[in-house]
Amino acid sequence: MNYFQLFNIEVSFDVDLQQLSSNYQTLQKAVHPDKFAHASEQEQRIAVQKSAHINDAYQTLKNPLQRAQYILVQRGVEMPNEQHSFQDTSFLMRQMELREMLEDVRHSGDVDAALLEVQSVLSTEYIELSQIMRTQISENNAASNSAACDNLRKLKFYQKLNVEVDRLEDSLLDD
Amino acid sequence: MALLQIAEPGQSTVPHEHRLAAGIDLGTTNSLIASVQSGNASTLSDDEGRDILPSIVSYQADNILVGQTAQALSIEDAQNTITSAKRLIGRSLKDIQGKYPSLPYEFCGDENHPEIMTRQGAVNPVQVSAEILKTLNLRAQAALGGELTGVVITVPAHFDDAQRQSTKDAAKIAGVSVLRLLNEPTAAAVAYGLDSGQEGVIAVYDLGGGTFDISILRLNKGIFEVLATGGDSALGGDDFDVVLVDHLVAQAGLVRPLSPSLERQLMQQACFAKEQLTTKEEVDITISLDGDSDWKTSLTKVQLNELIGSLVNKTLRACRRTLKDADITIDEVIEVVMVGGSTRVPLVRSEVEKHFNKTPLTSIDPDKVVAIGAAIQADVLVGNKPDSDMLLLDVTPLSLGLETMGGLVEKVIPRNTTIPVAKAQEFTTFKDGQTAMAVHVLQGERELVEDCRSLARFELRGIPAMTAGAAHIRVTFKVDADGLLSVSAMEKSSGVESSIEVKPSFGLDDNQISQMIKDSMSNAEEDMQARMLKEQQVEASRVIESVQAALVADSRLLNSDEVNVIENAIKSLAQVSQGIDIKAIENALDKLNDSTAIFAERRMDSSISQALAGQAVDKI
Repeated sequence: MNYFQLFNIEVSFDVDLQQLSSNYQTLQKAVHPDKFAHASEQEQRIAVQKSAHINDAYQTLKNPLQRAQYILVQRGVEMPNEQHSFQDTSFLMRQMELREMLEDVRHSGDVDAALLEVQSVLSTEYIELSQIMRTQISENNAASNSAACDNLRKLKFYQKLNVEVDRLEDSLLDD
Repeated sequence: MALLQIAEPGQSTVPHEHRLAAGIDLGTTNSLIASVQSGNASTLSDDEGRDILPSIVSYQADNILVGQTAQALSIEDAQNTITSAKRLIGRSLKDIQGKYPSLPYEFCGDENHPEIMTRQGAVNPVQVSAEILKTLNLRAQAALGGELTGVVITVPAHFDDAQRQSTKDAAKIAGVSVLRLLNEPTAAAVAYGLDSGQEGVIAVYDLGGGTFDISILRLNKGIFEVLATGGDSALGGDDFDVVLVDHLVAQAGLVRPLSPSLERQLMQQACFAKEQLTTKEEVDITISLDGDSDWKTSLTKVQLNELIGSLVNKTLRACRRTLKDADITIDEVIEVVMVGGSTRVPLVRSEVEKHFNKTPLTSIDPDKVVAIGAAIQADVLVGNKPDSDMLLLDVTPLSLGLETMGGLVEKVIPRNTTIPVAKAQEFTTFKDGQTAMAVHVLQGERELVEDCRSLARFELRGIPAMTAGAAHIRVTFKVDADGLLSVSAMEKSSGVESSIEVKPSFGLDDNQISQMIKDSMSNAEEDMQARMLKEQQVEASRVIESVQAALVADSRLLNSDEVNVIENAIKSLAQVSQGIDIKAIENALDKLNDSTAIFAERRMDSSISQALAGQAVDKI
């Protein structure tokens, strides 16, 4: 049973998050270990296992990048290794520019404004790219799947940058 | 031969038997126990009508005092009277002495298992907590008229694995059966949510004696979903007292080290002054110095606010970060629930109000709300409310990871992941021919090993010799519904699962725990045997009951041979549990558990497919 079947929803990148969440809660009500606190050891053990599985499935379908990856892997698309080098030089250039922009935030005169600026640039480019990926996933042919896979990798770069932005923001809060 | 009883299909499988259960708020400063009686959750009081039990244990020559009687000795007998043991539980000596340099105790034991030297010998903080649990358990037995089937014990959401495990160990030593460890803010949310019937996003700001938690939850139709939690496991009202004491010491021109009883006296005066300043603008303080002279001073609310301002700010920073983790804006929060005695401090209330831009809810007694929430969950978990819609979905408070090359931490489970959770990560060897691997499990947010908390170390041996990077070692992290972690590792290419032994960096191992249980009994060996026998018998009847209920409900999932195997296992367990052979009961229990493995799995799968089955029809 794949994750979409588990939650009784259509296989699609466009997931109705409200439906997903409500079905998730229904499933947890059936298997959560709290429902088996007084049951036999076997049932408690299996409840933990099933509940953990449902949590994992929910996180995968809830998060757009994980969901995209799950759909592509289900279609048999081979995910290149993370360390595998990128051919797209213009994208690599852009990554370096964005990184520099992030580095400069700390030394900028108005740190808050600079941080906000980086966040807005990152978010605009991320949304644009994820729209393209979404269309490619829905086309669902060999070429579009492979293109979606490339864009997914690019989006993961953005995600990593966002983690660094968060970390920077945290460290500024600590000061 | 006795015939097994079979109920009508659809009929409630177990005859409705009310089981006794309770919720325990094992606090830094005060502890409480509550229970649901005829539908209402309320705290239970002692024979003098007091429901708050000070979390203080005094080791006297021939007895152990707990609560108010111990409190009375806390100044004159500071070294043998242990307060705030919760701050010491699951911590190393270095942690403790770094954080609380002026504790009036004589520490002994080793670096990772510190103990306090008392008149009755060395005492582990876990044993101190166990004494408090024992006292509360006896109180509940007297109030409810019978032994408790199980309890829910609350812990700060921010407690790490060692602190949670130590709390469970304390219950084991006290002979209390734990249904679940529950996070304090989640318990408060349950009490608040069920009381108010509100739905939406709430924040629970919980500032206790020794810990601070902030949790963001979404309440929806009986489901309490924790979106994120944050805080500080070493920041609370006691810290307000500490800065006040430091202020008084400086004002009085005293030079440390001071005598244990003077430290205790300063602490009590500081705490008293802090409480007075909740309603007054100024308070007089008198300290009797060693050598009979008195020193007098006064303290204003303005001074207090200045002294504790940065601590309060620290809590607000945690609030901001946790909202961000939850992906929630301040405007989405419909209510801020205040929990813990330290939220009575006016500066705390006004700053929280300013931060969240709404008046915090203080109508529920901040001292009792956690115990009440725990009692409500205990009532559900023990099976008194089979039709309850309530479900708590909690999260891991801190990220869990492994040490990799260069002293870096690779996160396996990020913080705020919904539990229970199981996650695996693959690692490989560093050198050619490497046959063993040291696995170091850490908890915390920082990137460097030295900045995180070491939970356990173990070695995976018997990896087949291969070139560097060829072996695939799969390390699996599992966090259960109590928030407790277990780790296992296996080498994939050989398919052989190597056995591993996890040595907790802090806390106690099983042998130490059974030794402590023995120590606490007058007739050690016999009492221990009697207790173990009773525990096994209770467990046997619990399992038999639950398997019989499962058979009644779902025997259609089994063929007749499978039913026979299970029924035979039930019969032999029922038979041996009448006797006194502990080992035989254990074996029969294992056998019954083994024989129901497939059945349990099929039942769970069947309930998963049934849960959403009605939906397709609804859509048409």
